[in-house]
Amino acid sequence: MLVLSRKIGEVVTIGNSVKITVLSFDRGVVRLGIEAPKTIPVHRKEIHDKIVKMNKEASKTEFAALKHALTGGNMIFSEDNNGKNRKSADILFAQIKK
Amino acid sequence: MDTTATKSIKTLHFGEINVEEKHIFTFKDGMLGFENLKQYVLISDEETVPFKWLISLDEPEIGFPLLSPWHIDLTYSPGREIDTDKVVLFVVVTLDSSKGQMSANMKAPIILDVEKQTGEQRILRSDKYSTNYLFPNKEDK
Repeated sequence: MLVLSRKIGEVVTIGNSVKITVLSFDRGVVRLGIEAPKTIPVHRKEIHDKIVKMNKEASKTEFAALKHALTGGNMIFSEDNNGKNRKSADILFAQIKK
Repeated sequence: MDTTATKSIKTLHFGEINVEEKHIFTFKDGMLGFENLKQYVLISDEETVPFKWLISLDEPEIGFPLLSPWHIDLTYSPGREIDTDKVVLFVVVTLDSSKGQMSANMKAPIILDVEKQTGEQRILRSDKYSTNYLFPNKEDK
């Protein structure tokens, strides 16, 4: 790991397009200002890690378990009737009929 | 391109199935935590409507249940960074079987570009949405 010391107001650049400015330091909290193009996602690592964890759990979902949860009939779904996904969504999927 | 070309894959959930090229989407960055899995097939099984499935072609035992975010929250609005007229959105659903509780990751939707047959999972900049939004449940009422 590269370690750099910076004072408040000083900047670190990463590549040609990312700039990180140290804005303040107070009671153990560093505030950073990050300028990056929209194509580069910038997020707190906790959020990223949480999503990875959710994905890992979701990826193990069993078909039968989901079917069972559905037949319980406890779930409430909106009709998606403002139709944001209306036009193209269904034809994207390979249909499986038993 | 011959849009009727099919590919046979063996899935954990659906057994061996034939899928058409038009149902296969490329995620150049994979899914978060599954960066090496780039190719996915979109499946809808009548037994799990309204859920859909995103099944990895590289590791067909990996499959994500999806739902339209508007099935869960009619007011869902991912912000101006996503043009909902041009792409189709889904969210990943997690099922906690022991509690019979489902949650959806509204913070990191799956964005499908229909024309290019590409997809990505993007973390929204907005703090409005949760990574584990609990479904409304009839027993809550």
